[in-house]
Amino acid sequence: MSTTSERPAARTGAIGAGPRRVEGPAKVAGTAAYAYEYRAADAAYLAPVQATIARGRVAAVDTAAAEAAEGVLAVLWHGNAPRLRTDAELPGLQQPGELHVLQSAEVHYRGQPVAAVVAETFEAAQHAAALVTLTYEQLPHDAEFSAGRTDLATPKEDHRQGDVKAAEGEVVVDQTYTTPMQHNNPMEPHSTMARWDGEAITLHESTQGAHMVRETVAELLGLEQGRVRVVAPYVGGGFGSKGPLHAPTVLAVLGARAVPHRSVKLAATRRQMFSLVGYRSPTVQRVRLRADAQGRLSGIDVTATVQSARLGDFIEEAAGPAKSMYAAPNRRMGHRAARLDVPVPTWMRAPGECPGMFGPEVAMDELAVACGLDPIEARVRNEPERDPATGKPFSTRNLIACLREGADRFGWADRPAEPGARREGEWLVGTGVAASFYPVVPPVGGSRALVRHAGDGRYVVSLAAADIGTGAWTALTQVAADVLGVPLEHVEVRLGDSALPLASLAGGSTGMMSWGSTVHAAATAFRRLHGDDPAPGAEAAADLPEVAHRDDYAMHAYGAQFAEVRVNTDTGEIRVPRLLGVFAAGRIVNARTARSQFVGGMTMGLSMALHEESVLDARFGHVVNADFAEYHIAANADVADIQAHWIDEHDPLVNPLGAKGIGEIGIVGTAAAVANAAYHATGVRVRRVPLRLDDFLDAVGA
Amino acid sequence: MDFLSPDTWAGALAAKAARPEAVPVMGGTDVMVELNLGRRRPHALLDLTRVPELARWGAEDGYTRVGAGVSYTRLVERVGSRAPALAAAARSVASPQIRNRGSVGGNLGGASPAGDCHPPLLAAGALVELASAAGVRRVPASEFYLGPGRTVRREDELVAAVLVPEPRGPQVFAKVGPRNAMVIAVVSFALALDVAARRAGTGIGSAGPTPLRARAAEEFLAREFDWAGGADPSPEAARRFGDLVAGAARPIDDVRGSAAYRRHALAVLARRAWARCAAEVRGGGV
Repeated sequence: MSTTSERPAARTGAIGAGPRRVEGPAKVAGTAAYAYEYRAADAAYLAPVQATIARGRVAAVDTAAAEAAEGVLAVLWHGNAPRLRTDAELPGLQQPGELHVLQSAEVHYRGQPVAAVVAETFEAAQHAAALVTLTYEQLPHDAEFSAGRTDLATPKEDHRQGDVKAAEGEVVVDQTYTTPMQHNNPMEPHSTMARWDGEAITLHESTQGAHMVRETVAELLGLEQGRVRVVAPYVGGGFGSKGPLHAPTVLAVLGARAVPHRSVKLAATRRQMFSLVGYRSPTVQRVRLRADAQGRLSGIDVTATVQSARLGDFIEEAAGPAKSMYAAPNRRMGHRAARLDVPVPTWMRAPGECPGMFGPEVAMDELAVACGLDPIEARVRNEPERDPATGKPFSTRNLIACLREGADRFGWADRPAEPGARREGEWLVGTGVAASFYPVVPPVGGSRALVRHAGDGRYVVSLAAADIGTGAWTALTQVAADVLGVPLEHVEVRLGDSALPLASLAGGSTGMMSWGSTVHAAATAFRRLHGDDPAPGAEAAADLPEVAHRDDYAMHAYGAQFAEVRVNTDTGEIRVPRLLGVFAAGRIVNARTARSQFVGGMTMGLSMALHEESVLDARFGHVVNADFAEYHIAANADVADIQAHWIDEHDPLVNPLGAKGIGEIGIVGTAAAVANAAYHATGVRVRRVPLRLDDFLDAVGA
Repeated sequence: MDFLSPDTWAGALAAKAARPEAVPVMGGTDVMVELNLGRRRPHALLDLTRVPELARWGAEDGYTRVGAGVSYTRLVERVGSRAPALAAAARSVASPQIRNRGSVGGNLGGASPAGDCHPPLLAAGALVELASAAGVRRVPASEFYLGPGRTVRREDELVAAVLVPEPRGPQVFAKVGPRNAMVIAVVSFALALDVAARRAGTGIGSAGPTPLRARAAEEFLAREFDWAGGADPSPEAARRFGDLVAGAARPIDDVRGSAAYRRHALAVLARRAWARCAAEVRGGGV
């Protein structure tokens, strides 16, 4: 790690060290229970019945055979399902249309739950679900995503500065870049165990925010929040799809209401993950860059066409990152949306930034080629002094430092300028670079942490934060230990339960900024109130400090990613032997889990570059490759050498901890770096991911 | 759904005779997936995992007879040298867990055009042994496949075994996909040479409604191959061989690859197969 600035050493050195995950042994031993794994003597199982049409109405439901089947406790459909509040005031991130499950006969997307069976066993539920007969009044549907549609909506006014049409300069890059529909597939599928005891409901839930689930379920059922308890200490990945609620959770809640005093379990099958819990919208990005011969941009114009749903609007803001990346006096960034008869899209790791840095970062590579510049130099020449979107000064911006350090570590200096110059046997070898970007998302207020002295110098720190595999259990232990000045093993952190103090959702890479700052404040308050020799039982609580985000600065994290790509001259096979990322994301609290976040993000970016693509058959409205045999996700054998490094960035303006988010930036830019390296290897410019064997047939002379 | 679980081969054949619609299940790597995905709901499953005969292999009249239930892992570890191309294909199937469960019999029963075992069976001139309560017949692999998922197997028959001729020269198998493992082949190709008889056998996978042989390519290679010295082919001859193999394919455009790419890649695999076989002849590895 290089050092760009010095900061006072932490009190115990706990912050910045790399201790192992505190919950690791429990996870490895299998004693850390996930939502579906909780044992309940009164367990019952729910199986959804999903619509086989993409649009229309359920005309009739025949439940007789299912109800008569052995072990069936309830068969639910829109005619008998417990009612949800139609005037529920749901948190803004929720999609009411998606959550009003079994409340009407309308079918809005193929795969929508139209009935459900609760039974004594999983097998009985599955069997009975197959016995439910539905008759539909089918209506014509439209699931054909295209940027050429004439009915595209403009969800909000384009961002405009200067006049992009009047931008001058002899170099023009005007290309269209596309990214596919992709599906979140955390290892643990969306799972719920719900139990209604007649007064209150308890959910064991796989979620990114226990309090968010509590608030939403309370609203939907018309209950006081105190009558909803959500337990979620361990979550096997979410990537955003467990931020907003989706239909399976509501189904489990309805099942629990219909069969009181039973613990109703539902885990989405892998196939259901492709229809019930959202996805990343496909994008078509028209990128127009205009620059002088030296590569200095005068105009940046990005229009991203994305897919949304008639059932609810969700805009993948892929044109967003171009607002702040590079300097140019004339700029326009806008979105167009096709509202289709499809499931509602949702968050997927770095929504907006991840697809939205593919087009522009490949375009920057094209600009460099057009101007005869090194791709790093092309970016350096367009480094803005202030945030181009807002005119505010940057709290810190170390993009160039990341590019330079990455170039050193990667061995960029030896790179031939011309594409197709390096050949090793039957492989063409190239290297590429792209920038990474992720904003410092202002943490939602309201988080609160409680620090309690348990006696003997041991402390318990409580808040309802969700560790979805990020390392929050460990990093929050470090923050508390550091401020309290005690060894790590003297701090016990308790997370993931709505009975604990409120914590914001795990989303937008805000966890450490939000919960870390809150724990920092609570531990500081504890020492202030109780000194260094507190009585057993002494407590102090604190809220997320107001100063945790300053509005007079532009705050973003940056990175630079380098890729080496080999393309087989005979078959067009693409291999990525080497990825290297350097990030500038403020203070790194836990070196071990941070590296895991960066490397995990880059691996997912590699997966986007080479594998992940959901293929929707518009004739029927469903994803045809809805399993891991055909929706490939990068696995060990696809990954060779992935390195993540970071710059020791000191940014006291972002929050007292100085931490920016790190959960998402690792996936941003990877795919562009790979595509740029594939161009450098072969001379074939591919403007779409995933890269395919077929794409390089021209280069291999077929 | 009835679950029939005979523990003898005779019992299995009797069960199949009584319930011809029963779907045989061995490793379950295809059948269970289809059940779980709701693609089919048979009235009966015929579990063959308890039938000891299906897990056996051994030499038989110039052939290696491999029971339909021999797992890919077993095939690789125990039968490899007696059926090199088939073993190479088995080695390339999915993951270790799947290879512990899946079997050649299942590949033949499912008859997916992308099944990895079909090209080596075609190339080597293997026989498929089909059995019913009424008797046993052996069908050349080249006559076994009728269409995607369709074969000459009658409803009352079970796949009992494959009989792979003792290798009489080099054999290779290769496939192409977007990654090295855990992938359904975009195309696959097998080549088996009979050095003494100066004959070549080919098999094409994932590039037509059934696995295919490239007969014109086989005849060309029989004429052009340097049977005595194993010299590398001339670029023109290699290209011609590749073109003949590609020309025998009947590929479609689908999610996994375009027809044009499949033809191209088949030609590449064919040329490589020739070169590898020639090297083996040169090296005296026959």
